[in-house]
Amino acid sequence: MASAFWAIARFDFVQRLKMVSTWLYLVLYAVLAGLWIAAAGGAVRGVGVSFGGEKILINGTLALGIAIGIVGFIGITVIGSVTGRAVQQDFDVGIHPFFFSAPISKRDYFFGRLVGAWATLVMIFAGVAIGIVIGSHWPGVDSARIAASPSVQSFVRPYLFVLIPNVLWLGGCFFVLAALTRQMAPVYIAGVIALVGYLFAVNLLSDMENKTLAALIDPSGSTAVDVFTRYWSVAQKNEQEIPLAGVILWNRLLWAAIGTIVTFLGYRAFRMESVAPTLRRRAKKKVVEDVEGEAVGTASAHATPLPHAVPDRSAAAYARMLPGLARLYLGEILKSPRFLTIVLGGVLLVIGNAATLGSFYGTNTYPLTYKVLDVVAGLFNVFVLIVTAIYTGELVWRERDARMDDIADSMPAPTWLAFLAKFATVIVLQVVLLAVVMVCSIAVQLLHGFTKIEIGQYLMQLFVLQLSGDILLAVLALTVHTLVDNKYVGHFFVGIVFLVLVQLPLFGFEDRLYLYGSAPGLIYSDLNGWGHFLPAFFWFRLYWLAFAAVLMVGSYALWVRGREARVAARLRNAAARMRAPAWAIAGTAAVVFVATGAWIFHNTHVVNGFVGREDARRLQADYEKRYKQFAGAAQPRVTAVDVSVDLQPERLLARISGTLTIANKSDVPIRDVYVLYPRRARAQKIAFGVPATLADEASEMRWHHYVLAQPLAPGAVTDFRFDLEYGAQGFANDGADPVVLGNGTFLNPGLTPETSLIPSFGYGADGELSSDRDRKEFDLPPKPRMPDLNDKQQVMQNALTRDADFIDYRAHFCTSADQLPVTSGYVVKDVTENGRRCIDYRMDSKMTHVFSFVSARYAVRKDVWHGPQGDVAIEIDYHRGHEYNLGRMVAGVQDALAYYTKHWGPYQHKIVRIVEFPRFSRSGGFAESFPNTVPFNEAIGFTAKVDDRDPDDIDYPYFVTAHEVAHQWWAHQEVPANVQGDEFITESLSEYAALMVLKTKYGDAKMHRFLKYELDRYLLGRGTESKQEQPLVRADGAAYVHYQKGALTLYALQDAIGEAAIDDAISSFLRKWKFAGPPYARSVDLLAEFRRVTPQPLQPLIDDLFETITLYDVRAVSAAAKEQADGSDAIELVVSARKVRADGSGKETEVPFDGEVDVGALDAHGSVVALEKRRVKSGENRITLAVAKGGAVRAGIDPLGKLIDRDDKDNTVAVTR
Amino acid sequence: MRLEIRDLAKTYPNGVRALDRVSLTIPTGMFGLLGPNGAGKSTLMRTLATLQEADAGSAKLIGVDGGGDIDVLRDKDAVRRVLGYLPQDFGVYPRVTAEDLLDHFARLKGVVDAKARRETVRALLQRVNLFAVRKQKLGGFSGGMRQRFGIAQALLCDPRLVIVDEPTAGLDPEERVRFHNLLADIALDVVVILSTHIVSDVADLCNHLAVIDAGRVLVAGEPDALVADLRGRIWRKTIDKSDVEAIKSRVRLVSTRLQAGHTVVRAYRDGAPPEPGFEPVDPELEDVYFSSIAGYVGEAVDVPAVAA
Repeated sequence: MASAFWAIARFDFVQRLKMVSTWLYLVLYAVLAGLWIAAAGGAVRGVGVSFGGEKILINGTLALGIAIGIVGFIGITVIGSVTGRAVQQDFDVGIHPFFFSAPISKRDYFFGRLVGAWATLVMIFAGVAIGIVIGSHWPGVDSARIAASPSVQSFVRPYLFVLIPNVLWLGGCFFVLAALTRQMAPVYIAGVIALVGYLFAVNLLSDMENKTLAALIDPSGSTAVDVFTRYWSVAQKNEQEIPLAGVILWNRLLWAAIGTIVTFLGYRAFRMESVAPTLRRRAKKKVVEDVEGEAVGTASAHATPLPHAVPDRSAAAYARMLPGLARLYLGEILKSPRFLTIVLGGVLLVIGNAATLGSFYGTNTYPLTYKVLDVVAGLFNVFVLIVTAIYTGELVWRERDARMDDIADSMPAPTWLAFLAKFATVIVLQVVLLAVVMVCSIAVQLLHGFTKIEIGQYLMQLFVLQLSGDILLAVLALTVHTLVDNKYVGHFFVGIVFLVLVQLPLFGFEDRLYLYGSAPGLIYSDLNGWGHFLPAFFWFRLYWLAFAAVLMVGSYALWVRGREARVAARLRNAAARMRAPAWAIAGTAAVVFVATGAWIFHNTHVVNGFVGREDARRLQADYEKRYKQFAGAAQPRVTAVDVSVDLQPERLLARISGTLTIANKSDVPIRDVYVLYPRRARAQKIAFGVPATLADEASEMRWHHYVLAQPLAPGAVTDFRFDLEYGAQGFANDGADPVVLGNGTFLNPGLTPETSLIPSFGYGADGELSSDRDRKEFDLPPKPRMPDLNDKQQVMQNALTRDADFIDYRAHFCTSADQLPVTSGYVVKDVTENGRRCIDYRMDSKMTHVFSFVSARYAVRKDVWHGPQGDVAIEIDYHRGHEYNLGRMVAGVQDALAYYTKHWGPYQHKIVRIVEFPRFSRSGGFAESFPNTVPFNEAIGFTAKVDDRDPDDIDYPYFVTAHEVAHQWWAHQEVPANVQGDEFITESLSEYAALMVLKTKYGDAKMHRFLKYELDRYLLGRGTESKQEQPLVRADGAAYVHYQKGALTLYALQDAIGEAAIDDAISSFLRKWKFAGPPYARSVDLLAEFRRVTPQPLQPLIDDLFETITLYDVRAVSAAAKEQADGSDAIELVVSARKVRADGSGKETEVPFDGEVDVGALDAHGSVVALEKRRVKSGENRITLAVAKGGAVRAGIDPLGKLIDRDDKDNTVAVTR
Repeated sequence: MRLEIRDLAKTYPNGVRALDRVSLTIPTGMFGLLGPNGAGKSTLMRTLATLQEADAGSAKLIGVDGGGDIDVLRDKDAVRRVLGYLPQDFGVYPRVTAEDLLDHFARLKGVVDAKARRETVRALLQRVNLFAVRKQKLGGFSGGMRQRFGIAQALLCDPRLVIVDEPTAGLDPEERVRFHNLLADIALDVVVILSTHIVSDVADLCNHLAVIDAGRVLVAGEPDALVADLRGRIWRKTIDKSDVEAIKSRVRLVSTRLQAGHTVVRAYRDGAPPEPGFEPVDPELEDVYFSSIAGYVGEAVDVPAVAA
């Protein structure tokens, strides 16, 4: 009867509609999707949801595609739950005999249930669209981020291509599993596996080579969408409909095929029988045959007499039972397939990710313990949460599920016995998982051949720091499951609570005093260990553990024992249950809670004022509103610095004092001087060389307005003395102050306003809000990232500091006797006495007004470079144990000095110093260049693991060293003006310089490989632009432009005009602008030099590369080889070429293509066998290329990928003969 | 109409022989299937209800509605159309109302017309006295109410073969009586197989019965005839509690009971009392049951030798 099918499908669907859970799911998805979109649109402060930059419309095609895809996939558990239960509940409830003995066919039953479940899911997931629509119009959403009328297609397509297929094929697989095994456990396991597949794919994506693979193996399809749209410009991401093509199509086909096959096979295997055939392990369950004997007709009225045992019901006796009981619970769980699968899923995920541990440009880092822990613990954390949530519920409901609760509850055992045993079991489970993490991590380290295994760090990180937090979560789960009277609803609420806890801070609720279980983050550094950050962490842990103890007592009191679960009955039972010991525990815990809370409050609110993210932004906005009016005022400029730094690492104190020589370089007298220094630096003394009074002060905005008694005349010089003390006091909501450390202090005065420990003069625009979205919130107009290229005022300022040109520098730096104090300059005096080490530094020539202070217990490696004009000392100050790449760094310095000296000009100092700093330092990211000093991050260059035998590995310690050394020329010899394009001079030239050094040592192939990464990152960066993309000549701070595009274009120019010509231009530029004071050089000055050395026909290339955003699209159509009389092959190439210009948001217009491009052929290994420059025009071109016979396997246009082309795989095709 | 079962056999994968060449002829009317737990009753029920496969043998429903025969084992669809099955252990969707679920089952049994369905459902619910609670959710039903619902769905669409597996276990005396009346009403021209281990149910209701143990039919026939067979062979004695073990080794014990605080044993012996002190009694169906299980009558099943 075909209509029995509809009867079943309709019945199931209607019943589902009547269930609260169905509507709950729909609302949940609507809320998730709505929040997601609203947050992306700025309605929710501080939430970090981004579809890639602020210009992406939140309901543009890509945003919708991602939202629908990912939110839908988060629902994998819901898909499993709905489709699995659709069939499994028949077996669970025991109603299946009725269906199987009814006159319906297998097809009706199987597909009736499946279709009913599918229909339910489609309805539930409609919630996502509803949520998106509501979320995009939520009050507070930035209207600039919403498309006025989003196309229906942009909603329908993600549903049709991504979400509905996922529901269908995933639902089918889960249904089959549940139908064949008649259990829900396999469904959960399958859900975990699918989740693992998704996470694995996401991680694979980080390595460029595996993009296609990642796109295919992600069952949700969202990675495929990501890969497909990876290089789309902002305009495309907003408007272009996501097609069912390319890797998206393959992914969908692959998984649809898998789903169809699984469903079909499952249908075949399914039997409408009472007992399922061999698939069911239960068949092997031992059916115990009843014992013969007394069974023969007798109601056994005369059994043998029963022995009489004396019971011990004291508390001590029951307490002794606790471990045994916990062991009983544990045994059951540890052997269950569900638990083992979760663990297996986690282990697989970890092993899968271990291969690409911390890779950078495709090269790995050494698997140091903290690095491995970061990755492994991070990945595994999800599983710890899942296990905690699930098994707390399972344990709480264990007796009730087994229908043994009446028996168990009527036993004389005290309530606290089972309660504590269950809790202990969950904790032991967590310990087991953490032990698995440890084993996996150590395995990963050993697999990489790394034997420095720091057990102490493992134990501390996992079993103290992490476990204490996990215990708090276990208590929370236990409380929820005690209060909620239904296992599945309890699971639901535990999930919600965990989710809310994570999300709250993003919504502006940041105070850890009310965020259950939160504690300030800790980052381990090899240099500083856990450092002084631990106490704050432990205070918060103690605070929340005390609260958790109170929760525990409460849960114990309200624990369900017996049949009564309603509130009134529970409260009555609670009163009876709470006796002296329970009150004592609760009372003590409450006291500890309040006491620690008071102490924490004192630290985080009184000693260190509590500043939430919103408050911090308001401060910035007020700063601009009040003081920007003074931006144009003439201010004194620093000409000499004589500073004394007194660092006491063991007391976390720094005292910075000194004298700045200041001069009035303007042509008006200066009466008002604005002095900026951070609030945390407590000023012990501020004095001018001339009498001055403090007229106005807003220290939380770093603003101090002094009025000089006698205005400083134009050309006059005076000095400014200051004495600032900087020291951590107590701890703030985010932990202890990270500026001064026990080991590895790195003070970088110029980096952020908060760490500028040398006072500066004049209004600083770096204190303003930069994000346009933030500015709008405070009614500030949007601002460009950099002043305009032709700004007449800013050309007189250099890009590094606003209140100085070039200075004389002298420093007296003291630290504790076992540390080495390092700053710019040469060592003049080095004295160790009274437990202090003091070094006097002096720079014997003028330098830029940027310097840093680093102090740590270093080992020192010394080397030298013999240059044509003398030796340059090389010194690397590093943490003992990080010797891995010292040789590479030394080589990097030597080769860089050699190249730059030969091609451009001499190095201005006599020493190059590389200094290692801790990885979490607020003062630095990667590496930075100060005059003759290069601080270098511990986690990146020092611990890189370069495999010289692997052609794919880039020696990036070497590369980055060369880049930083180049900055000694481009930033410290030649300082650009503070206008757009400044980083074209500093960063692009340095990146190009390092590229040349890399090529000299490692050869062309390596260099081209590196450029491929640069191209990928440039194209990727274009899609995440939050303002407007600028051409290089107007580069305004976007890294993907001045690093990646800079390297690509400068290399392209060199390729076109030759290395000698480019060197001529660069060295000429250097000669003209070296140490040149105001006005400063601009990008156009450099471009003028390039134009000078470029032949006329190639001048348009300069426009393409540097003055516009130009993208190429070249493609090889066909390559036919014809044998020639002289034995060579003539390859007839048909190629097509296209050139577009893009505006700042990515809108493209085609322009005619007419230029010289590489055409060539490659052999089977990808090496070049022929390469020539040919004239190519827009559209189709026919070109004949001569090649040695049989040598060419592939041929095409731009085979080495020198042009900025979004798809360089189509540049060559296989050669046909 | 009758149900012919020939040499039905089934062995489970773990080696347990659930049905060992069972042969029975079951006419219309109430047929009682007696046996201890694990005897194979439920296996037989489920096999006949198309839920399990037999390894060998046949079962045929002969002369259905004056027409042809149905091969119960092979023609499952045909059987299901005339089948009403109430399993021993079943559950119901807790959040569905009695009326809705019965309506759904009626639909599945083939009552396509909505009006006819509504009438059938109402009638059946009244029959089993659940009409008043038809709009209540099944999750709140007591054990007896659930059983009545179960029999209601079994009776949908005038079944010709009704299989009821241990239906009165867990019902109070009043509910049992009600249940019996329900079954008795339908048994006129329908094969009703009632499996139970409560001997008195069979004695009250059934006009045919079989005793089954370890997958084998021990005795089969009409209750009165089987009881009559035992006349003169059942003996009774009141003894001391402590003597039970001793007496077992001396006589063929049929049953041990407590009557008003005294221990009363019944024994089997053909012809003469097994021992001094035993008096003859009129046999009951229960004696038939215990005697066949013990192997004193009917097909023997591994009985240890005892002094005759």
